[in-house]
Amino acid sequence: MIIIGEKINGAIPSTAKAIAAKDAEYIKNLAIAQAEAGADFIDVCASVDDDIELETMKWLIDIVQEVTDVPIAVDSPNVYTCIESMKYCNKPGLFNSVSLEGDKVDVAFKAIADTKWECVALLNSDKGIPKTAKDRLDVFADLMVKVKEYNIDPSRMHIDPLIEMLCTSEDGITMVTEVIRGIKAQYPTIHVTGAVSNISFNLPARRIANQAFAVLAMSAGMDSFILDPLNKDMMGMLFATEAMMGEDEYCMEYIGAFREGIFVK
Amino acid sequence: MSKIEEVKVLVETGKSKKVAAAVQEALDAGDKAQDILDAMIASMGVVGDKFSSGEIFVPEMLIAAKAMSKGVEVLKPVMAGDVSNSLGTCIIGTVAGDLHDIGKNLVTMMIESAGFDMIDLGVDVPAERFVEAVKENDNVVLVACSGLLTTTMPALKEAVQTVKAALPDMKVLVGGAPVTQAYADEIGADGYATDAGSAAVKAKELTA
Repeated sequence: MIIIGEKINGAIPSTAKAIAAKDAEYIKNLAIAQAEAGADFIDVCASVDDDIELETMKWLIDIVQEVTDVPIAVDSPNVYTCIESMKYCNKPGLFNSVSLEGDKVDVAFKAIADTKWECVALLNSDKGIPKTAKDRLDVFADLMVKVKEYNIDPSRMHIDPLIEMLCTSEDGITMVTEVIRGIKAQYPTIHVTGAVSNISFNLPARRIANQAFAVLAMSAGMDSFILDPLNKDMMGMLFATEAMMGEDEYCMEYIGAFREGIFVK
Repeated sequence: MSKIEEVKVLVETGKSKKVAAAVQEALDAGDKAQDILDAMIASMGVVGDKFSSGEIFVPEMLIAAKAMSKGVEVLKPVMAGDVSNSLGTCIIGTVAGDLHDIGKNLVTMMIESAGFDMIDLGVDVPAERFVEAVKENDNVVLVACSGLLTTTMPALKEAVQTVKAALPDMKVLVGGAPVTQAYADEIGADGYATDAGSAAVKAKELTA
């Protein structure tokens, strides 16, 4: 189970404010809190104008690395920003993200091929977001051709099947769980990831919907989660679900996380 | 850290893959098998106490006991023929009409870890079977009966009283979710324990 802490993201208003005000203390605290909460990667996404994106990424990454050894997820819709940001990182982290749009995948894979960096890949393409499970799995097949071409071990890949809001879905999460199962059936060591809270856009009491999604997605094979690790209810739910799935011998992970205060308030 | 201290830590933390090697190293370093065994028994005492106090959980007790048994396997050939190291034999079983065995198995492990030889009669054990087992085995010093259901509490009573009628000097220990000290006293048991850790402590106390 891999936790990607999502809090240092300029798309979150409070973080955006801290970035605009160059409030290093605020960013530092977000990094420390997420590291202590058990994040395996700390996502860093500037979400600022293009002309200052790279310098903002460097500023954020430097601050995070000042206070924790947890690897960074360099996060930008612009693969060149991700590639440049890799250079600011003290150790290999997570490239977030690529897709089959344009030449993104070639540019990104060339940059990470001979490194230990892991990589998030989204299942959209030049044609947009595929509507059916079959179409998404077709995009996945095309993506894996590239993964193979660049000799990247599947275990370094985190496939994001694209989690869309539940409230306008006609079949709940059936389509996305079908995609997750299809991916894992073909490549058992590959990771399936996603931004968990996407599921609950435009719903009240989002945290409840998020938890239900996490449990079901995990049972389908999702094992990497982009979320707020400070959400103790969610973290507890993930550890409990992992144990229920028989992936936690003697519940030692669950007990260990409990003892570290990961999910006890 | 001495080798024996290392063994203790490995047992307490349930590192069953490393215990056997550490026990062998302790033997090689000149530690006596009996001392190593006593050290592991002491570790399990600590584990039992921590479990009783809620500091650790069932799986952690389970893997500690597993770790200890890995260590004991290494000691067995060295100690073979030396009966003086056993605290005696304990007969254990879940009473007639009751099929619960998880709790009983934990108690078995913990009493064994305290230094007893265990004869486990399994579940749904008729009262007379406890008496037969005492007669069939050598050096039996304790009978432990478990009952997990309110409906099988009468069977617990029957088991205790059958053993006591046939073998008045035999010590009998009882336990199980619905059992209380008061009920244990009422049916004539010598001892009662609330959990696996305290069962081991009680077993030693009753047979001392």
